[in-house]
Amino acid sequence: MANRIDIIDKTISKLPFVKVLNTLEQDEFSIKGNVEIDFEKLNKPLSFSFEISEIYPFRHYDSESIKFKNVDLIKYGHVMGDGSICIHTSHNINLKKKLTIDFHSLKNWILKYYISNEDDDNYEHIICNETSFKGCHYSYMFTDVEHTFSKDDFGEVSLFQLENGIYKKEGITNYIIQKFDLKNKTQIECNWSEIYNRSLRTHTGVFYFCENPPAVHGRFAFQNWENLDGYLSEDFINHLQRFEKQNLKKFRGKAFPLFLGYKTIGNDIHWQVIILEIGDFPIKRTPKREGRRKTGDFKYSIKSGKIIWGITNNSSYKYFFGRGAFSKSLTEKKILIIGVGALGSMVAKTLTRCGCKNINVADYDIKKPENICRSEYLFNLGVNDKSEEMVRILTAISPFVEAKVANNDYFQTIIKMLYDKKGIKEQFIRDLNKNDLVIDCTTDDDLMYILDSLDLDCDSINLSITNHSKELVCGFNNNIYSFVKNQFDNVLDNDTKDLYNPTGCWDPTFKASYNDISLLVQMALRHINIVYSDGIRPNNFVIKQDDKFPSNLIIEEY
Amino acid sequence: MSLKKQEYLSNVLSTHRMSHVEELVNKFKAKRDEVKTTLQDKYGSDIYSPFDSGSFKKHTAINIKFDLDIVVPFKRNSFDTLEKMFDDLYEYLEAEFGDVAEVRKQKVSIGLLFKTDDDGDDVNLDVVPGREFNQDQYSEDRKLNLHLRNNTIFTSDSTYIQTNIQEQIEHINGKSDERMVIRLLKIWKHYNNEDFKSFLIELITIKAFKKDDISGNLWEKLEGVMNYIKENVIKEDFKLKDPGNSNNNVMDTLDNAERTNLSNRMETLIDRINNNAQNIKSYFPLNDDFEDEESSSEGYGIKIGSGIASTPPSTERFG
Repeated sequence: MANRIDIIDKTISKLPFVKVLNTLEQDEFSIKGNVEIDFEKLNKPLSFSFEISEIYPFRHYDSESIKFKNVDLIKYGHVMGDGSICIHTSHNINLKKKLTIDFHSLKNWILKYYISNEDDDNYEHIICNETSFKGCHYSYMFTDVEHTFSKDDFGEVSLFQLENGIYKKEGITNYIIQKFDLKNKTQIECNWSEIYNRSLRTHTGVFYFCENPPAVHGRFAFQNWENLDGYLSEDFINHLQRFEKQNLKKFRGKAFPLFLGYKTIGNDIHWQVIILEIGDFPIKRTPKREGRRKTGDFKYSIKSGKIIWGITNNSSYKYFFGRGAFSKSLTEKKILIIGVGALGSMVAKTLTRCGCKNINVADYDIKKPENICRSEYLFNLGVNDKSEEMVRILTAISPFVEAKVANNDYFQTIIKMLYDKKGIKEQFIRDLNKNDLVIDCTTDDDLMYILDSLDLDCDSINLSITNHSKELVCGFNNNIYSFVKNQFDNVLDNDTKDLYNPTGCWDPTFKASYNDISLLVQMALRHINIVYSDGIRPNNFVIKQDDKFPSNLIIEEY
Repeated sequence: MSLKKQEYLSNVLSTHRMSHVEELVNKFKAKRDEVKTTLQDKYGSDIYSPFDSGSFKKHTAINIKFDLDIVVPFKRNSFDTLEKMFDDLYEYLEAEFGDVAEVRKQKVSIGLLFKTDDDGDDVNLDVVPGREFNQDQYSEDRKLNLHLRNNTIFTSDSTYIQTNIQEQIEHINGKSDERMVIRLLKIWKHYNNEDFKSFLIELITIKAFKKDDISGNLWEKLEGVMNYIKENVIKEDFKLKDPGNSNNNVMDTLDNAERTNLSNRMETLIDRINNNAQNIKSYFPLNDDFEDEESSSEGYGIKIGSGIASTPPSTERFG
């Protein structure tokens, strides 16, 4: 059997556009060599060194385990700082086939980025070598603002600290940027939800909008402060110097973030952060002179020194939900969820994870440990009002959801006493119509009747399930009370003998696991989202098991 | 207990009978007569005798939602244009009843929504002005031109409709089977917030009886009509002629998506009910206010909650 190095040599040599320049060398972990690539469209051949690791043809983490390098090509797209070409190729477990695929990928890169010099439509972050500061990483998330920054704008940044954690085996401190205070006193709030914006700031930083990325070839972040000379205005450097002076006593040796902003694609801006040490800002001062005489004033400028890049993430709504969200016609709705037990908590959490921006919840009940196994509540939050804990959970998930507790008594007593009283009824209708969608997950027949009889203009959904989570019944806008009641009274076979009886006071409850319930809830919400996104008529529906294959669920619309 | 659909539907119809709301109907009639009298006083020889129309007159009304229609036939030379006729009548009704009712312009009629009385009842009337085609011809042909506002009724952009309301009333006269099915479909339309016009339901039901073999018990007749609707409304050449003017095709009030939706709704309804007869109750509920308690609790299979204190009833919902 031929050895690996020979197979690689022969396979590469057979490729018509590849010339192997020297004998391949093998060390402990890889095979190395040099090739020349030449084909019709190239004016002159291009040379690359290559390195094939021991695990090839398998991938190494997220990267190919073959590397092609040419440091002279660093200015072209998809070339890393060390000159390695970034290729993503197809999977193949056969060494010869994989080599053929990968060398063709290199050829394709040459065609696209070297010969055609194409730019991609999507923005790629500049490559920063993010490092820790005194053994701790610093991470900052930012979002959109309703403001257009101009070149050389600068000022202070209010930060709010999130949880600390572990990042690449070192500590990490996480923050969000709450607002920018421009030097001219203009305050620019970030588009987070109220709870994030209104929380008291915990830390401060500075920002400078330099318009263009602080990077070589627009891609490789500057390594040394000297590179920033000319990027930062004198005014800003003076400001930075004053800031350090003011905070030196109290905060000497602490990390301090400097955010550099620049435009990316369209009107998007990105912020990269440099971690400074208070007391060691890279600023030098030179005495100002008039002729040969010192004036007593100083000129401040950047001095040489290694830049410590921190971590930033654009966490604006567009990116936060970029990978998947519900239709805008659902996410933009003001939603009231009444009842956040098993069903309601899953509904609330799913809507939040799918981008809904305004959710109020109401529930008179208390969350106890036994609720957790089949709902979205958390053990570490202890015993709480369900509505209060749910709001905490929703806002912990999304920084874009305005989640609030609605009046818990409203739906249990007030509306039941007064719903048919002239004048008051109209007030109830007005109150509820302030929502765009009311989702009733209480399983309270009385409330269902009242909500249905109020004939609200806003959309209305009622969700409940049978024991063992065999069926989910959804009343959707029309004839809800009659439809849901009829399903439970006459149509569905709801076994209420086999219930779970907890110890203590008599309070039997239905049997179903998180998996049983969430499967139905997810399917229902998916269907509801389709109704909204396609603008089709909402009909009542039941999700049930297929008679022949109980694992298959079907939606029966009415 | 298995549900007898025909008996159940018969009970649905009886709980929706107008006779249950006789007192309310009398209030409607009193208001209607008052309005008619004032119109005769106001317009005198410019009009022929106002007459009653609408579902009440056609015996297709249901007690959950109804209004009374008054048609006012104007003489040809009473107004230069139909719009002037319409506006004049509106202004008069507003002046006369504006303090006790909301007077509003509708598509072909003027609505009078009287303020809620001490019993909590709302009375509303629709007054439909029409003008005869030619001077003094109305007594013979009963034909009227109606002013059409914001035309969304027909696909043409006409500002008037020629019709014969007497013929429309005659069209349904003596058709008791058809009327039962029409009332059931109106009950379905009301409870399920369906958008389809009652007039379309009326015409298509009558046509179904005429064209198809619609027979059997009440459920079979209803099912036959629903099947007819399901199959025919999606046909491009399917027409519903207005009995008052054969040039008006009432199917034109639906676009293709609405036709498909109507057909789909019928299909779903038939499937669900045939799959489980109890589903009929979701589509055609009894009117609780007039439900015969004996028949509702035993005769139609409604489950009364378990009497065993330690077990929740099988009607219990969970979540």
